[in-house]
Amino acid sequence: MSSIVFLIFAPFILSIFIPLMSLKIRNFVVITSVISLATVAVNTTFSSAVSFNIPHYIHEVLVALDIFLLLYFLHRGRVQNSTLVSILAIVQLVLYAIVLNLSSAQDGLDIVVDGLSIMMYLIINIVGGLIIIYALEYIEHEDISAKKKNIFIAMLLFFIGVMNALVSANSIELFFLLFELTTLCSYILIGFRADEVATQNSIKALWMNQIGGVAILLALIFSITSYETIYFSELISKVDNTFLIPITLLIVAALVKGASLPFQSWLLGAMVAPTPVSAILHSATMVKIAPFLILKLSPAFTPFVSITLSLFGAFVFLVASVMALNKDFFKEVLGLSTIALLALMISLAAYGTPEATTAAMILLCFHAVSKALLFLQAGILEKNYHLKYISDIDSLINIAPKTLFFIMVGFASLTLPPFGAFVAKFLAITAISDQILNNPLNAIVLALLVLGSVVLAILYFKVTSKLFTKEVFQNFSKEKLAWKYFIPSFALFLLLVAGVLFMIDLKTIKVYELVVPTLLLVATPLLFKYATFKNTPRSKEYNCGEKDEFIVSTHYYEIAPKYLKLFSYIAIAFIVVLQVGGLF
Amino acid sequence: MFEIVLILIAPLVGGLMHGSQRVIRARMQNRQGPPLLQPFYDMYKLMDKRAFIVHPYHTILGILHFLTLWLVVALIILGTNLLYVIFLHLLATVFIVLAGFSVKSVFSHLGANRELLSLLAYEPIFIFLATGFYLFFGTYDISVIRENSTAIMTLPLLFIAFLLTIPLKLKLSPFDACEAHQEIVGGVEVEYSGVYFEFLYMAKWLEYIFVFSLLTLFAGDSILFAIALVAVVFLVANIVDNSTARVNIQETVKFLLIWGFGLSILNIIGLSFV
Amino acid sequence: MFDLKKYRKKSPWILHYNAGSCNGCDIEILASLAPKYDLERFGVLNTGNPKQSDVFLVTGPVTFRSRERLVELYTQMPSPKVVIAVGSCTCSGGVFRDMYNVEDGIDNYIPVDVYVPGCASSPELIIDGVVKALEILEQKSKEIELPKKLFGTIKEEEGVLNLREMALSVAQKSEQINAQKSEQNEN
Repeated sequence: MSSIVFLIFAPFILSIFIPLMSLKIRNFVVITSVISLATVAVNTTFSSAVSFNIPHYIHEVLVALDIFLLLYFLHRGRVQNSTLVSILAIVQLVLYAIVLNLSSAQDGLDIVVDGLSIMMYLIINIVGGLIIIYALEYIEHEDISAKKKNIFIAMLLFFIGVMNALVSANSIELFFLLFELTTLCSYILIGFRADEVATQNSIKALWMNQIGGVAILLALIFSITSYETIYFSELISKVDNTFLIPITLLIVAALVKGASLPFQSWLLGAMVAPTPVSAILHSATMVKIAPFLILKLSPAFTPFVSITLSLFGAFVFLVASVMALNKDFFKEVLGLSTIALLALMISLAAYGTPEATTAAMILLCFHAVSKALLFLQAGILEKNYHLKYISDIDSLINIAPKTLFFIMVGFASLTLPPFGAFVAKFLAITAISDQILNNPLNAIVLALLVLGSVVLAILYFKVTSKLFTKEVFQNFSKEKLAWKYFIPSFALFLLLVAGVLFMIDLKTIKVYELVVPTLLLVATPLLFKYATFKNTPRSKEYNCGEKDEFIVSTHYYEIAPKYLKLFSYIAIAFIVVLQVGGLF
Repeated sequence: MFEIVLILIAPLVGGLMHGSQRVIRARMQNRQGPPLLQPFYDMYKLMDKRAFIVHPYHTILGILHFLTLWLVVALIILGTNLLYVIFLHLLATVFIVLAGFSVKSVFSHLGANRELLSLLAYEPIFIFLATGFYLFFGTYDISVIRENSTAIMTLPLLFIAFLLTIPLKLKLSPFDACEAHQEIVGGVEVEYSGVYFEFLYMAKWLEYIFVFSLLTLFAGDSILFAIALVAVVFLVANIVDNSTARVNIQETVKFLLIWGFGLSILNIIGLSFV
Repeated sequence: MFDLKKYRKKSPWILHYNAGSCNGCDIEILASLAPKYDLERFGVLNTGNPKQSDVFLVTGPVTFRSRERLVELYTQMPSPKVVIAVGSCTCSGGVFRDMYNVEDGIDNYIPVDVYVPGCASSPELIIDGVVKALEILEQKSKEIELPKKLFGTIKEEEGVLNLREMALSVAQKSEQINAQKSEQNEN
């Protein structure tokens, strides 16, 4: 229990004091606290399930905090002239008042830490911690005051604390508060650069995430009126197959946080923020709420909800991957592939069968690590080489071999054997195939999944094509990376490698099936380094005898905008069907 | 022991198939054509030549492509997991695509890009092939598929879909846009020369073995049926190769996604009603 | 180890380049590759890629603008290789000899092994020339053969022969020669 309390409260307390510290002390404090958080998180895996109640007086504080938060949103809505934000804040205030009116003091466990929460602790604290170490260096290159830099770091730590609390919450009321707090964090972090685009996008993120808040409050009201509980565990065990609306509303909240199709624009808008923010949003925190919540709720799904949600997830997986094919902004490509993979996790989690759940959880872990690694490299490219667009990046292998290595590992780890994402896809195909004979619609899910994963593979290797092109005689320069850049990247790389060992331990796939591709992938960089072909003459590339240099570019595959709109409508239709299915 | 011998001679068998393909093509055009062992003569000649390379990475990736493909063929012969084999084949494709992109050559880039797009055309069909066998036999193990009787009556549409991918994988007309010999000078293989080109040349032979060993899975435990199937399909593929013109890569992908993948999905959906 | 040299003869791959020809010889070359004359029975393939070719079939009298391409394609062919000049103009300039824009045959620039006469050469002659070239190919060493006129040395970088630089320098060399020529004309 004490370790859980530490995980939740240590980041909060630290984030209050960090703005007051000087640079050196700050760096020292942050690094030690990040290491201790990660250690404690690892420690929790050895402890058994923990659950406890929050004292009554803290409840009062939390209610006050909630109301204060909603009032703050209302205030921001008025300041920024955004009627949507204000209206949604008022709606939430009204709904929250109803909730407070309905709910009497109940006996139940506010905090329940199960296996799922422990897995999330690991992701949040280890991956998130590494991103914070990286942010220490990154933020020094921003053109802002020292105090603002400190606030930035403090916000990231605060975010980690909120996430730690969120994944351990069992009370939906508490979950709502933490959900809104993550919304607040993302709002502040996205708008951190305070220019016009940043403000606009932060407002967009605010109102979209508030839709999730409204959905949770509605779910809470239905849950109290029909099932007389405000706890996840009781709701899931009590819920009736004929009246599933609290669950389906909670799914909507998950889809909002996961930036699934009709809501994708807030996450893409988050690109304007400093890169550590994108990294932490995409890998360790915010968006991971979506698969987490679906995994938590999946025991309560009826077959109808389950298949609808799987179809929806697979559909978004394909559409988001196709959308990424014509993007030139490196972070946007990564962002859309995050949306796609989150949808895949949701789709798998919705099945609720052991194999599908395992696949979703493996994907959840390794997606976090790979995406963090990729976003860190995007930040390095931006800060060290001033490269943001794929079309600007030329022959990266000559100027930044280390960064390129990490990018290649990141992309490879999302598609190729022996990495975790491959094992997850392998399991997923098996798990869905098992269901096909029960329901032919699963064949459609499988088709969408297969197509989507091929499109993603095309996307990754299309992008690398631009980075990997090398001149005949141009030896790479030694790339100098600041240690706060290098260590997190390298640690994430090690995590991916450790993941392969973990896969062996999992025994879902045979040992040689992992060892063989590992050997091939290990051999590649070694051969690159040591096989120099000294005695072989070099010749020019064949260019029909012409002398012109070939200017490398990538291919873009565009889909017509009218289809994009259609896809959004289809996504909304899915959500409506889900709600109707929940009602009857 | 028998399997190991088979694995070792796999490229040679592929070479023979390539040679007989050239003979068949010549005979169909009413000419004498090269000798049957021509691919091996080509191979010896390539070993004899002085090789040029563009840069080491390009060369290494080409060699790795060949090795991975050989590994894929070996795993098929040893009778391991079908789905895994298909994913490992993806790794082989990735190596050659990266090799194509790693040089500053316009034809190489075009070829690599077409290779990537053709992945979109055949990979889904291959994965559905694995799923089809999984639903029928309850396992992905190739050895189990080989020990049981033929599945072709239950998976007829998947069989047709798989036949459609054969020209694409073997770089035969009408789906030879990836290589497009005179148009983009062989695509990804354009920058290889001498002994290093030989690896790609032999990889092409291995593709024959890969495709036809997947084809024999439809024959089940009957060796005679397997031989007949391979012979007929080989002949038909060559007739089609000689009598059709090349379609561009967009049309290829569109055709295979609509017909090939469509038929596979229909077959899988149909399985749940049987 | 058995001798690999004899297989050179059995698998000659052809690169065909038109250095400003009237297309007469090109048509005959394609005719000799096509089913009627069927050069493929000797294992010949028309690769269209210098890096994988053994036989360089050149037609045309080498116009001023095509000579750099000619040399570049030649340097991109790995040794051993043979060059066949197909047609009268390729051998000596033919009817175009001494024209202001023509370089009077390819042997000013690259070493030629077989001269095939005729305007245009007939497929029979071309086949004869190819077969003759195969005998020469079998005798050749694997040493790099240099083009004649535009440059002399091969650049080495870190102990690796850099043929790329060699091919690129053609342009600079020809610019120098042009400058010299124009100076002489002015004088």
